[in-house]
Amino acid sequence: MLARVADSLYWMARYVERAEHSARLIAVNLESMIEQSPEDAEAAWRRVAAALTGEDLAGADAFAVTQALAFDRTNAASLVSSLHLARDNARQVREQLSTEVWEHLNKLYLGTRDPTARSVWMHQPALFFRQALEDLFTLGGVTYSTLRHGEGWRFLELGRHIERAQLVSRLLDIYFGVGSPSRLLPPPKYFDWLVLLKFCTAFEPYCKEYTAALKPETIAQFLLFDAEFPHSVRFSVDRVVEALGHVAPGAPPSRRANCERLAGRLKAAVDFGHIDELTGGTIDAFLVNITRQCEQIHDAVYATYIAYDAETVL
Amino acid sequence: MQQGVGQPEIAGRAASGTSTPAPGNTLYPHYELGAAYDEMFAPDGTVRAQYHGLNGRLQTLPSGELMRRQHVCEQSFLHQGITFTVYADAQATERIIPTDLLPRIVAAAEWEHIERGLKQRIQALNQFLLDIYTDGHVLKDGVVPRKMILGSRHYRREMRGVAVPHGSYVNVCGTDLVRREDGAFVVLEDNLRVPSGVSYMLANRDVVRRAFPNVFRAARVRPIEQYPNELLATLRSLAPFQEDVSIAVLTPGVFNAAFFEHAFLARQMGVELVEGRDLLVNDNVVYARTTSGLKRIDVIYRRIDDDFIDSLIFREDSALGVPGLFNAYRAGNVILANALGTGVADDKAVYAYVPRLIRYYLNEDPILPNVETFLCREEKSLNHVLANLDKLVVKAVGESGGYGMLVGPHASAKERAEFAEKLRADPENYIAQPTIQLSTAPTLVDGQVQARHVDLRPFILHGEETRIVPGGLTRVALKKGSLVVNSSQGGGSKDTWVLSQ
Repeated sequence: MLARVADSLYWMARYVERAEHSARLIAVNLESMIEQSPEDAEAAWRRVAAALTGEDLAGADAFAVTQALAFDRTNAASLVSSLHLARDNARQVREQLSTEVWEHLNKLYLGTRDPTARSVWMHQPALFFRQALEDLFTLGGVTYSTLRHGEGWRFLELGRHIERAQLVSRLLDIYFGVGSPSRLLPPPKYFDWLVLLKFCTAFEPYCKEYTAALKPETIAQFLLFDAEFPHSVRFSVDRVVEALGHVAPGAPPSRRANCERLAGRLKAAVDFGHIDELTGGTIDAFLVNITRQCEQIHDAVYATYIAYDAETVL
Repeated sequence: MQQGVGQPEIAGRAASGTSTPAPGNTLYPHYELGAAYDEMFAPDGTVRAQYHGLNGRLQTLPSGELMRRQHVCEQSFLHQGITFTVYADAQATERIIPTDLLPRIVAAAEWEHIERGLKQRIQALNQFLLDIYTDGHVLKDGVVPRKMILGSRHYRREMRGVAVPHGSYVNVCGTDLVRREDGAFVVLEDNLRVPSGVSYMLANRDVVRRAFPNVFRAARVRPIEQYPNELLATLRSLAPFQEDVSIAVLTPGVFNAAFFEHAFLARQMGVELVEGRDLLVNDNVVYARTTSGLKRIDVIYRRIDDDFIDSLIFREDSALGVPGLFNAYRAGNVILANALGTGVADDKAVYAYVPRLIRYYLNEDPILPNVETFLCREEKSLNHVLANLDKLVVKAVGESGGYGMLVGPHASAKERAEFAEKLRADPENYIAQPTIQLSTAPTLVDGQVQARHVDLRPFILHGEETRIVPGGLTRVALKKGSLVVNSSQGGGSKDTWVLSQ
């Protein structure tokens, strides 16, 4: 597979994942703020903004935050920006995608640009994001079932799960971390833990595993270390390892070594980690370390398979 | 659209003064026959034999059905994203190429004649290119002015003595044919560089066949779907070996007007679609950067103009091509299709000499004639052109796509005066031709069947052998009375049916 094509597929998947994450955080928060006091709602929005942009938007109201996170094209973290970039990448490699995947993504992108989208948002904002979310779920299904699970699909998987592992880690950091920006926020209450699970579509799976007794430690254990839940960090890291085993089938073991070593190291950390060992502020460092390791894997993938120096393989 | 069964009524065309009296028929109340040859109706209003099937179907379709099918057709193009980029305004805009539901039908005997003519022409043009890049007999014999060839902006000195497989420089050619008032097909121009439009030919067939399945089957239309396969066979035949030939389509990228076509052809042939940045040259061998390492490329169907293909040899500001590609080509390590330097032979000035070239190389009379052409480089012709600007079409020699051109009879006095200035300033850059009333064909306009001017661009493949799929892209000038069919100037296209008997 051409290196440029792999690059586009990888980024297309990352942006789709980012769009899905943004849409879900906003939809869930819009739905839950109805039951919150104004102070709690403000804290909740600040958490969402911090998770999506890394900035603290103290004093901002729901309207301003959603506006910025949904439609602001100058904001790289907004839903439209992510969809725009996902579609741009897809367009460059259209001949590599199935018609269904391309047309679905194209329609999704055009839909959010449509003037009626704004009017839906004005009147039923949560519905707008639920719709986007549903379309993104469909896109995931169409991608799974209409593409050959060859090298291109592996790069999609790689992009999706590196992105997801980082997004979930960053989100957990807002709730469990003691560093900035979390220390500026009031400590989460029971309801906030519930919302956190919903941010990761994890409420029902969590309850099946641990009952509805919401304890911060078990929530962290579940979202970090559960082997079978698709939005846990461990699950994503497993997919990254799997994908890396299948990309670039013609590359010799010596070239693959570095990527596989880095992915294996991260896998060991989440396979054998336990929340009991992450007490007393060490969870902060653990989460930062996961994010950093994901970045290292990304860099290694680029150096090995995509932006490599031609001299090294001649 | 009114429903009706009856006699065709053909309204007179006031402007041309040649109105044709015809019996009444509500299906074609807006169909005007003028001076031009009409593809469907004979001058007396009777339907030509090859159109009988289609006419019969149109007569029985319920009211509104044509419009509905046209709509289905357009939706299909929209969803597939078959678009064309227009550069006329500062901001390039993407739009769907208008496609017309009603096919243009070519009788079997007519096609047989066209095919022979095209084969003859590509043969002569390839021999001419081989000649001017090697021994130059044609220049020594004074058949074509040496200065005109060597001074042409498209003549590539770098190509002197470079061996090309089978002596075939032009592997993919799109020749524009028009039908004169007398019904004869004549050649308007040859496109020997990177002709486009073949994906529209195939896309049109795909939607129109579904719109008229029964007529299509009954008419025994010859298939064209084999084009990508024939293109692949042609490209393969250029490689020096036949095992594991690695072929790629080279595109300028997603922002190019014809990107859809490049991606389409790559997908249909099952070969890689590459951009310049995907390729690199090492030790005069071309490689593509893949995730698994470098992969050697043997044949490149390049859809990038000569000027941009290698910044070391040609335009240094080009980021589209591949530095070092030309040296790899000269070393024989990669094949480019079309070869470099073919533009010199589709120059509008050289065009005027093609009939002479056919006689010179093949010792045959041209089967398809040229349009009468005045070379403004000759003073006598220039004076004639300036005196008759209102009757002539003047074209810049090196331009294509309808840019830099004056259609005398449709231009205002001011436009003509401005163009005359350009002509006097640089006469060698222009040729002129009489305005030909391109033939008209039935076209669906605002829900009515109306006559619109059309041309025909068949695609000729030339490698070890010459292959032509029966058909081509029929381009149609959608504006009433307009003779400009280019898609960049508001033209549309139609499916072209070549009948097998």
